[in-house]
Amino acid sequence: MSRRISLRLESRPEELSRIEAAVEDMAVSEDWPQDFTFRIQLALEELIVNVINYGHSEENPEGHEIEVEMRSDEEALTIEIVDDGQPFDPVNDAPKPDIDAGIEDRPIGGLGVFLVQKMMDEMRYRRDGDRNRLTLVKRKGE
Amino acid sequence: MPLNTARENEVLIARPEGRIDALNAREFQSELSAAIDDEAGAVLLDLEDLSYISSAGLRVILLVAKDLRKRDAKLALCSLQAPIREVFETSGFDQILALHASRAEALAALRG
Repeated sequence: MSRRISLRLESRPEELSRIEAAVEDMAVSEDWPQDFTFRIQLALEELIVNVINYGHSEENPEGHEIEVEMRSDEEALTIEIVDDGQPFDPVNDAPKPDIDAGIEDRPIGGLGVFLVQKMMDEMRYRRDGDRNRLTLVKRKGE
Repeated sequence: MPLNTARENEVLIARPEGRIDALNAREFQSELSAAIDDEAGAVLLDLEDLSYISSAGLRVILLVAKDLRKRDAKLALCSLQAPIREVFETSGFDQILALHASRAEALAALRG
Protein backbone atom coordinates (compact mmCIF):
# COMPACT_ATOMS: atom_id res chain seq x y z
CA MET A 1 0.00 0.00 0.00
CA SER A 2 1.29 3.43 -0.71
CA ARG A 3 0.35 6.80 0.66
CA ARG A 4 0.97 10.30 -0.51
CA ILE A 5 0.64 13.68 1.19
CA SER A 6 1.34 17.03 -0.36
CA LEU A 7 1.35 20.43 1.26
CA ARG A 8 1.87 23.94 0.02
CA LEU A 9 3.52 26.21 2.58
CA GLU A 10 4.09 29.90 2.86
CA SER A 11 7.64 30.91 3.60
CA ARG A 12 7.28 31.57 7.33
CA PRO A 13 8.33 29.53 10.38
CA GLU A 14 4.79 29.06 11.77
CA GLU A 15 4.12 26.78 8.79
CA LEU A 16 6.45 24.20 10.35
CA SER A 17 3.59 23.12 12.63
CA ARG A 18 1.61 21.98 9.60
CA ILE A 19 4.51 19.81 8.45
CA GLU A 20 4.93 18.38 11.92
CA ALA A 21 1.24 17.46 12.04
CA ALA A 22 1.31 15.90 8.56
CA VAL A 23 4.33 13.73 9.46
CA GLU A 24 2.66 12.70 12.72
CA ASP A 25 -0.50 11.68 10.83
CA MET A 26 1.47 9.53 8.42
CA ALA A 27 3.53 8.08 11.29
CA VAL A 28 0.42 7.04 13.21
CA SER A 29 -1.43 5.60 10.22
CA GLU A 30 1.62 3.61 9.06
CA ASP A 31 2.83 2.76 12.56
CA TRP A 32 6.37 4.07 12.06
CA PRO A 33 8.97 3.33 14.73
CA GLN A 34 9.74 6.33 16.95
CA ASP A 35 13.27 6.85 15.63
CA PHE A 36 12.08 6.79 12.01
CA THR A 37 9.47 9.48 12.75
CA PHE A 38 12.09 11.53 14.60
CA ARG A 39 14.46 11.50 11.61
CA ILE A 40 11.73 12.51 9.19
CA GLN A 41 10.57 15.36 11.45
CA LEU A 42 14.14 16.55 11.82
CA ALA A 43 14.98 16.39 8.10
CA LEU A 44 11.89 18.34 7.11
CA GLU A 45 12.34 20.97 9.81
CA GLU A 46 16.00 21.61 9.02
CA LEU A 47 15.55 21.88 5.27
CA ILE A 48 12.40 23.97 5.38
CA VAL A 49 13.97 26.33 7.94
CA ASN A 50 16.86 26.72 5.48
CA VAL A 51 14.51 27.55 2.62
CA ILE A 52 12.65 30.07 4.79
CA ASN A 53 15.85 31.72 6.07
CA TYR A 54 17.96 31.75 2.92
CA GLY A 55 15.59 31.55 0.00
CA HIS A 56 14.78 35.25 -0.24
CA SER A 57 16.10 37.11 -3.22
CA GLU A 58 16.11 40.71 -4.40
CA GLU A 59 13.50 39.93 -7.05
CA ASN A 60 11.34 38.14 -4.50
CA PRO A 61 11.96 39.75 -1.10
CA GLU A 62 8.58 38.69 0.26
CA GLY A 63 9.55 35.06 0.26
CA HIS A 64 8.06 32.34 -1.79
CA GLU A 65 6.13 29.14 -1.89
CA ILE A 66 7.34 25.83 -0.65
CA GLU A 67 5.80 22.59 -1.84
CA VAL A 68 6.36 19.44 0.15
CA GLU A 69 5.40 16.00 -1.00
CA MET A 70 5.81 12.78 0.95
CA ARG A 71 5.34 9.42 -0.74
CA SER A 72 5.42 6.31 1.33
CA ASP A 73 5.50 2.71 0.16
CA GLU A 74 6.66 -0.53 1.73
CA GLU A 75 10.30 0.11 0.95
CA ALA A 76 10.88 3.76 1.70
CA LEU A 77 9.62 7.24 2.36
CA THR A 78 10.50 9.73 -0.37
CA ILE A 79 10.25 13.45 0.32
CA GLU A 80 10.38 16.24 -2.22
CA ILE A 81 10.80 19.87 -1.22
CA VAL A 82 10.38 22.36 -4.04
CA ASP A 83 10.71 26.12 -3.63
CA ASP A 84 10.98 29.13 -5.91
CA GLY A 85 13.63 30.92 -3.84
CA GLN A 86 17.10 31.75 -5.05
CA PRO A 87 19.31 28.80 -6.04
CA PHE A 88 20.75 26.97 -3.07
CA ASP A 89 22.19 23.47 -3.12
CA PRO A 90 22.43 22.24 0.47
CA VAL A 91 24.03 18.98 -0.65
CA ASN A 92 27.16 20.73 -1.94
CA ASP A 93 27.01 24.32 -0.73
CA ALA A 94 26.13 24.02 2.97
CA PRO A 95 29.26 24.60 5.07
CA LYS A 96 30.59 21.49 6.81
CA PRO A 97 30.48 21.86 10.59
CA ASP A 98 33.53 21.21 12.75
CA ILE A 99 32.34 18.42 15.02
CA ASP A 100 35.71 17.84 16.68
CA ALA A 101 36.44 21.26 18.17
CA GLY A 102 36.30 21.82 21.94
CA ILE A 103 33.50 23.81 23.57
CA GLU A 104 35.25 27.20 23.29
CA ASP A 105 36.11 26.78 19.62
CA ARG A 106 32.97 25.01 18.49
CA PRO A 107 31.12 27.27 16.06
CA ILE A 108 27.47 27.98 16.81
CA GLY A 109 25.13 26.59 14.19
CA GLY A 110 25.71 24.91 10.84
CA LEU A 111 24.56 21.50 12.04
CA GLY A 112 21.17 21.30 10.34
CA VAL A 113 22.02 20.06 6.86
CA PHE A 114 24.81 17.90 8.26
CA LEU A 115 22.34 16.06 10.52
CA VAL A 116 19.94 15.53 7.63
CA GLN A 117 22.69 14.03 5.49
CA LYS A 118 23.61 11.63 8.28
CA MET A 119 20.02 10.62 8.96
CA MET A 120 18.68 10.14 5.43
CA ASP A 121 19.75 7.41 3.01
CA GLU A 122 19.72 9.73 0.00
CA MET A 123 19.67 13.47 -0.49
CA ARG A 124 19.72 14.96 -4.00
CA TYR A 125 19.42 18.50 -5.26
CA ARG A 126 18.69 19.90 -8.65
CA ARG A 127 17.78 23.31 -9.99
CA ASP A 128 14.64 22.81 -12.01
CA GLY A 129 13.89 25.96 -14.03
CA ASP A 130 13.41 28.67 -11.42
CA ARG A 131 12.95 26.18 -8.62
CA ASN A 132 15.07 24.31 -6.12
CA ARG A 133 14.13 20.65 -5.95
CA LEU A 134 15.40 18.54 -3.06
CA THR A 135 14.72 14.82 -2.90
CA LEU A 136 15.23 12.80 0.26
CA VAL A 137 14.88 9.07 0.65
CA LYS A 138 14.68 7.18 3.91
CA ARG A 139 14.43 3.43 3.59
CA LYS A 140 12.25 1.49 5.98
CA GLY A 141 13.09 -1.59 7.97
CA GLU A 142 16.74 -0.86 8.73
CA MET B 1 7.47 24.74 25.82
CA PRO B 2 7.31 23.99 29.55
CA LEU B 3 10.62 24.11 31.40
CA ASN B 4 10.51 22.67 34.89
CA THR B 5 13.26 23.79 37.23
CA ALA B 6 14.36 22.68 40.67
CA ARG B 7 17.41 23.20 42.80
CA GLU B 8 19.44 20.68 44.74
CA ASN B 9 22.02 22.58 46.76
CA GLU B 10 24.11 24.47 44.23
CA VAL B 11 22.85 22.44 41.25
CA LEU B 12 20.09 23.93 39.12
CA ILE B 13 18.10 21.13 37.50
CA ALA B 14 16.20 22.11 34.35
CA ARG B 15 13.82 19.65 32.70
CA PRO B 16 12.44 20.74 29.33
CA GLU B 17 9.29 18.93 28.25
CA GLY B 18 8.15 18.00 24.75
CA ARG B 19 9.99 19.51 21.79
CA ILE B 20 12.77 22.01 21.21
CA ASP B 21 12.58 23.10 17.59
CA ALA B 22 12.99 26.16 15.39
CA LEU B 23 9.69 27.53 16.62
CA ASN B 24 10.41 27.52 20.34
CA ALA B 25 14.23 27.42 20.67
CA ARG B 26 14.37 31.13 21.43
CA GLU B 27 11.83 30.73 24.22
CA PHE B 28 13.80 27.78 25.61
CA GLN B 29 16.95 29.89 25.53
CA SER B 30 15.42 32.79 27.42
CA GLU B 31 13.72 30.58 30.02
CA LEU B 32 16.86 28.56 30.63
CA SER B 33 19.08 31.65 30.82
CA ALA B 34 16.66 33.26 33.26
CA ALA B 35 16.70 30.15 35.46
CA ILE B 36 20.51 30.05 35.58
CA ASP B 37 21.36 32.79 38.06
CA ASP B 38 24.72 33.61 39.56
CA GLU B 39 24.08 31.28 42.49
CA ALA B 40 24.04 28.25 40.23
CA GLY B 41 27.42 26.60 40.50
CA ALA B 42 26.30 23.76 38.30
CA VAL B 43 23.49 23.02 35.86
CA LEU B 44 21.90 19.69 35.09
CA LEU B 45 19.75 19.43 31.98
CA ASP B 46 17.47 16.46 32.56
CA LEU B 47 16.14 15.47 29.12
CA GLU B 48 13.93 12.59 30.25
CA ASP B 49 10.75 14.35 29.08
CA LEU B 50 12.21 15.72 25.86
CA SER B 51 10.95 13.84 22.82
CA TYR B 52 12.42 15.95 20.00
CA ILE B 53 15.30 18.33 19.37
CA SER B 54 16.60 19.84 16.13
CA SER B 55 19.70 21.90 15.37
CA ALA B 56 17.90 24.99 16.72
CA GLY B 57 17.84 23.35 20.15
CA LEU B 58 21.43 22.11 19.91
CA ARG B 59 22.45 25.68 19.17
CA VAL B 60 20.92 26.87 22.46
CA ILE B 61 22.56 24.07 24.45
CA LEU B 62 25.95 24.92 22.94
CA LEU B 63 25.48 28.63 23.73
CA VAL B 64 24.60 27.80 27.34
CA ALA B 65 27.54 25.38 27.60
CA LYS B 66 29.94 28.07 26.36
CA ASP B 67 28.51 30.59 28.80
CA LEU B 68 28.78 28.22 31.78
CA ARG B 69 32.32 27.30 30.78
CA LYS B 70 33.30 30.99 30.86
CA ARG B 71 31.89 31.28 34.37
CA ASP B 72 33.58 28.07 35.54
CA ALA B 73 30.19 26.52 36.24
CA LYS B 74 29.67 22.83 35.50
CA LEU B 75 27.12 21.41 33.09
CA ALA B 76 25.82 17.87 32.79
CA LEU B 77 22.97 16.28 30.84
CA CYS B 78 21.07 13.13 31.64
CA SER B 79 18.35 10.70 30.56
CA LEU B 80 18.47 11.35 26.81
CA GLN B 81 15.92 9.34 24.83
CA ALA B 82 17.54 7.18 22.14
CA PRO B 83 16.91 9.39 19.06
CA ILE B 84 18.07 12.46 20.98
CA ARG B 85 21.25 10.73 22.08
CA GLU B 86 21.84 9.86 18.44
CA VAL B 87 21.52 13.52 17.43
CA PHE B 88 24.02 14.50 20.13
CA GLU B 89 26.45 11.80 19.03
CA THR B 90 26.13 12.63 15.33
CA SER B 91 26.85 16.28 16.12
CA GLY B 92 29.88 15.37 18.22
CA PHE B 93 28.21 16.91 21.27
CA ASP B 94 28.92 13.74 23.26
CA GLN B 95 32.61 14.72 22.98
CA ILE B 96 32.19 18.14 24.57
CA LEU B 97 29.28 17.62 26.97
CA ALA B 98 28.91 15.23 29.89
CA LEU B 99 26.00 12.90 29.03
CA HIS B 100 24.80 10.62 31.83
CA ALA B 101 22.33 7.74 31.83
CA SER B 102 20.44 8.85 34.94
CA ARG B 103 19.83 11.90 37.07
CA ALA B 104 21.51 10.25 40.09
CA GLU B 105 24.65 9.53 38.07
CA ALA B 106 24.76 13.09 36.73
CA LEU B 107 24.30 14.63 40.19
CA ALA B 108 27.06 12.43 41.60
CA ALA B 109 29.38 13.57 38.81
CA LEU B 110 28.52 17.24 39.33
CA ARG B 111 29.16 16.98 43.07
CA GLY B 112 32.33 14.98 42.65
